[in-house]
Amino acid sequence: MAKWECLVCGYVYDPDEGDPDNGIEPGTAFEDLPDDWVCPECGAGKDMFEQMD
Amino acid sequence: MRVIIIGNGVAGVNVARAIADSGVADELIIYSCEKHNYYPRPRLIELLTGDLPPEAIAQYPDDWYQRRKIDVRLGCCVAAIDRDARRITLADGGHDTYDKLVLAIGAHSWVPPIAGAERQGVHTLRTVRDAETIGAQARKAENVVCIGGGLLGLDTSMALVRCGASPVILEALPWLMPRQLDREGAAVLQALIEARGAHVRVGVQVEEIIGDGRVRSVRLKSGEELPADLVVVSAGVRSNLLLAQQAGLSCNRGIIVNERMETDDPDIYAVGDCAEFKGMVWAIIPVALAQARVAAMQICGQGDGLYEGVVPSTTLKVTGIDLTSIGEVNPQEGMFVEKRYQNAAGSVYEKLVIRDRRIVGAILLGDRSDVRAVNQLISRGVDVAPYIDRLFTAGLSLADIVNAQ
Repeated sequence: MAKWECLVCGYVYDPDEGDPDNGIEPGTAFEDLPDDWVCPECGAGKDMFEQMD
Repeated sequence: MRVIIIGNGVAGVNVARAIADSGVADELIIYSCEKHNYYPRPRLIELLTGDLPPEAIAQYPDDWYQRRKIDVRLGCCVAAIDRDARRITLADGGHDTYDKLVLAIGAHSWVPPIAGAERQGVHTLRTVRDAETIGAQARKAENVVCIGGGLLGLDTSMALVRCGASPVILEALPWLMPRQLDREGAAVLQALIEARGAHVRVGVQVEEIIGDGRVRSVRLKSGEELPADLVVVSAGVRSNLLLAQQAGLSCNRGIIVNERMETDDPDIYAVGDCAEFKGMVWAIIPVALAQARVAAMQICGQGDGLYEGVVPSTTLKVTGIDLTSIGEVNPQEGMFVEKRYQNAAGSVYEKLVIRDRRIVGAILLGDRSDVRAVNQLISRGVDVAPYIDRLFTAGLSLADIVNAQ
């Protein structure tokens, strides 16, 4: 599954790790994150993320 | 349409991005005094500690701007705005003209009026250059004093610890992070900070920074003198207003904008740390992003997005201490209920502030497991009244309340 980078602060969402602190299980694809999930580093919304090559 | 954006920080680049994506502007130009492509300011902390090499600070490569046909002019300061002619004057004497102008000119570190604050060795942290200077000096300093025990002051202090210093943190108010914490939470935080190698003094006021040319000590109002060869002042930021004031735009603490992010000139917008909406300048990233989106939408004429304000939320950065503070944490007026939890070891503190059956503020310190649930309960305006007596008791997690909706 693809990693996605926050264009605001550079945080990388890695589906293999998820975001357990915020209730996101490892193995969750970026596309499957809830709409109100925000970047754990800077608070930017999902629309501020770009898929990495 | 020719759009000029002044400022290349998070507000400026996000206005530019949204306008570029819309394809509405024929010409899109960013002017920036700083010489770096956009970089996220919170990362200055990692630059200071050396965890981030200087060449890695920029978030965007050069072609990020080129691919979007954004003409970015770095190290190019704007000196004046002529509203009648819709023309700007550059510091080097050049000129440019606009149809729409966006002021994303940010804020500067504020230094309180302390005698001797101009001495060498007294710094604030706001730019790449500041971070590099402070980091280099911290590695050879014997005594470091940090003035200001707010969010940036604590992040900076913990970074200085990583550089090998044992900074003394001075906070004038009775507790740390007074905007984000209450007294009880601050006591827990102070213990965690001191366990990591800094010293905290609250309720102390600085009288003078002493030295000859270079700083030698910091004298408190009590008369006590603390030795110091490096002083870092973190006393908050103030909006950059000069350009707007000279152009005759209404300013208070920030440049005053309406819910469309318009200043009192309909062709000039202000966003981010320089903008004041309903009497508030938050100077935080989520506000800059929301305002940038609205300004871009208005300029492009695509939808009538209005800025409605955001609930401020802050997270401590490199301390290794989990702290999230959301919304109204120190309620003063009206009817409210406060619910608190502290673990036996004194390393976790949580508090919820409830008004009109809804959570309006939260402190989550030492444990991140409830952060997401609290954010959801606040943003969805969930009625928590049925659960109020069982909050923070075994058998009911905040996530359970979210799931029950």
